[in-house]
Amino acid sequence: MNMAEHPTVRNCVLPADLYYVPEDHIWARTNADGTVTIGMTDVAQSLAGAIIHAHLKKVGTKRERAKPVATVESGKWVGPVKTPVAGEIVEINPRLETEASLLNKSPYKDGWIARLKPVSLEADLALMLKGEAALEAYKKLMDEKKLNDCIHCEGYEA
Amino acid sequence: MADSEGKRVLVVQTSGVDRPRRTYAPIFYAMTAAAMEMEVLLWFTMEGTSQLIHGEAEKIELEPGSGVTLKTMIERAMDAGVQFSVCQQSMALFNVEPKDIIENVKILGAASIIDLTLDYDVVMYF
Repeated sequence: MNMAEHPTVRNCVLPADLYYVPEDHIWARTNADGTVTIGMTDVAQSLAGAIIHAHLKKVGTKRERAKPVATVESGKWVGPVKTPVAGEIVEINPRLETEASLLNKSPYKDGWIARLKPVSLEADLALMLKGEAALEAYKKLMDEKKLNDCIHCEGYEA
Repeated sequence: MADSEGKRVLVVQTSGVDRPRRTYAPIFYAMTAAAMEMEVLLWFTMEGTSQLIHGEAEKIELEPGSGVTLKTMIERAMDAGVQFSVCQQSMALFNVEPKDIIENVKILGAASIIDLTLDYDVVMYF
């Protein structure tokens, strides 16, 4: 993933093909098999700083929308990763157990967090933002909360 | 491992700004438990009371230059939903008035803390 190929807001990469919940700093991608892959945004990884640990819920766990599927920690920050879709966790990213820094380096690809089988996809997607609307909302949120521009402390990889 | 969500955790902090290295971790545990959807109360007693006096937490920065002060940690914990409370008797002992304590901190007496220890699922003492 080349940063230049994707839209950015204040140096934060926000790929156009994803759905977002800006206030929770979460992205979602719909897959051909009906599942949804989720992760944390470039803004989230930048806010957290160098991430040292990710604690993921188990495969088979059923989650309501906005409930955490993971807890992510950096040296002095810890926060939940809230699922934007209700459903069952069918896969978690096994690499995060030993390489939590993937969340910093590759938040939209190698640093994906979980894949869920949704139970109310249409309704949940309707609550997320995409494209220009997502960029606008994120810019507003960053201004309101006085968030710093994104930094890629661990580099940025495809 | 049983699911931890909905459990109630009480974190008791007895160290104050005179021992900076003992200040961050209890707040971090409280914040973590809140992120894991637990109900968390931080209880400041004895010297711990000093962390909540206006202007004190700003002075503590464990990692110089990081910009993350003890005040930052307290604010992050409050944002995460951690509830804060302070011991009335400790305040009296150290001549701390309610007006000296930062906002969003509940002042509770010793009987309340005894009730709380019995009521919470787990109590962590620091």
